[in-house]
Amino acid sequence: MRRKRAAVRIGKALAVALILAWSLVPIVFILVSAFKPSADIFAVPPRLTFAPTVKHFVDLWTQWRGFFVGLLNSAIVTAGATLLAVVASTMAGYAYSRFRSPAMAGSALFLVAVRLLPPIVITLPLFPVVNWLRLNDTHFVLIILYATFFVSLGTLLMRTFIDQIPRELDEAALVDGASRFAILRRVIMPLSAQGMLAVAVFVIVFAWNEFLFAFIFTSTRAKTAPLFVAEMMGSLDSFDWGVLFAAATVQLLPIMLFVLFAQKHLVAGLTGGAIKG
Amino acid sequence: MPSGQGSGRSWLSPAALPFLGPAHGLVLAVIALPALYVVWLSLTTSTFGKAPTFVGLANYAHALTDPYFWRALRNTIVVVLIVVHVELLLGLGMALLFASGLPGRRYLLAAVLMPYAVSEVSAAVIFRFLFDADVGPVNLALAALGLPPLEWSVVPAHGLVIIALLSIWLHLPFTFIILYAARLAIPTQFYEVARMDAASGLRTFRYVTLPLLMPAILVAMLFRYIFAFRLFSEVWLMTQGGPARSTEVLAVYLYLDAFRFNAFGSAAATGWLMVLISLLLGAGYLWGLRRQMTSDAT
Repeated sequence: MRRKRAAVRIGKALAVALILAWSLVPIVFILVSAFKPSADIFAVPPRLTFAPTVKHFVDLWTQWRGFFVGLLNSAIVTAGATLLAVVASTMAGYAYSRFRSPAMAGSALFLVAVRLLPPIVITLPLFPVVNWLRLNDTHFVLIILYATFFVSLGTLLMRTFIDQIPRELDEAALVDGASRFAILRRVIMPLSAQGMLAVAVFVIVFAWNEFLFAFIFTSTRAKTAPLFVAEMMGSLDSFDWGVLFAAATVQLLPIMLFVLFAQKHLVAGLTGGAIKG
Repeated sequence: MPSGQGSGRSWLSPAALPFLGPAHGLVLAVIALPALYVVWLSLTTSTFGKAPTFVGLANYAHALTDPYFWRALRNTIVVVLIVVHVELLLGLGMALLFASGLPGRRYLLAAVLMPYAVSEVSAAVIFRFLFDADVGPVNLALAALGLPPLEWSVVPAHGLVIIALLSIWLHLPFTFIILYAARLAIPTQFYEVARMDAASGLRTFRYVTLPLLMPAILVAMLFRYIFAFRLFSEVWLMTQGGPARSTEVLAVYLYLDAFRFNAFGSAAATGWLMVLISLLLGAGYLWGLRRQMTSDAT
């Protein structure tokens, strides 16, 4: 019996080790290689001890100054999309939580059904329109696109969170003569802050990392950081892995720290509050 | 049944409309109306900047007789099937492992969720390095074990494997967390009963865990089918559909058609075919959601 239990424990430890390796080794590889001298990046077997250097980051700054503008663009687009998506989702989530009718259910269904369309299909008709409106290569286009593609999920999430707020609270305020907008702002929003945070975390991770829309709708002025990394990767002949790892690190580190920090809200959002992170 | 304000009415209550405005405005303007326009576009021949002319179903005929379309469709199906099912298996295994009680579970959970934060681009950088033909540690390790290397940039099948691998790595956290949450939601009494009956671990899994997890497994599977089906970035960043268009998936085929070959009409036909397949995949999910939205009173 005891031997069996020991075997189970060893098996579990092995499984955990494998899972950790699978999840973390690629990430650690990026972060560590960015600080390795070029010669050590390719050392076989991979060298664990080396003299760390910031040379690749300096090279990144001098050779790819545009990348840092790309980071700024990413930040602007992420902030705008998050604000828009959270506001629109909270408003719609409130309506779906407090008004129930077949027509409401139908319109919620529409919101989700539309989300089934593959994004690449939408780029076909949007591309000429965006050009015609002279919105090509602007932050605005990406903000609208990113917010739109999260508003369906955001609305469903907010509905779940707002459902947990007792109706009596807003009905009492309604009797006191408060408008529905005032109720949303003063009663609902403070009590559903956790849901709004969960929605925000999703949009932030998505907008910061998104590739397809940025690839099609931006070229220079609003070009985001992931596009610069892809471009560096594309210039493969004169490929400097060190600089590439440095760029990937700079793109990755802020969002990774953010996810670690906001993990509780991410998990709450993904599971409707079933797991407390 | 419906309760509260607006109940009993079959139309949207006017008080709700201003709140629905922003969300529905965005979705209508950016997704729904353009999607309808794609239908029109798919019935015309047009290149960017020129007025379209009506050609009927010629674009559909063109796509359906193009061998590259069929190859892209086949590649998409192969990758989707691999990605979704491997993810479900791994995710399920991990969920059971986590639920069986692990020390430091909070930190393990944080580690396992980490790939969720990684962009497709950064993940492509590391996969390209790890699997590089000359210097990649994984290929060197394979060689040291006397195994053939993964020549993903040369051999189409290997290309699809690395694309699937990258996709699984990026999306496993999502699949895992859905299944893990569902597993934690199973009341412990069920397991106490199973233990009193002296049921073996395997029987407990077969008759308690698996049936109770089934709804969550189906939800995760459906979500992943729909999202894996749109696969673009992983392919574009690893192989660009090459060599010789052999690893193209539908989204890449559509992109090349529209933005490389300027054939918006036939790209729209491909797009509409993709939409139909997506809607078919999602129909079951929507059906379940509709019942939930209309019947529950929370």
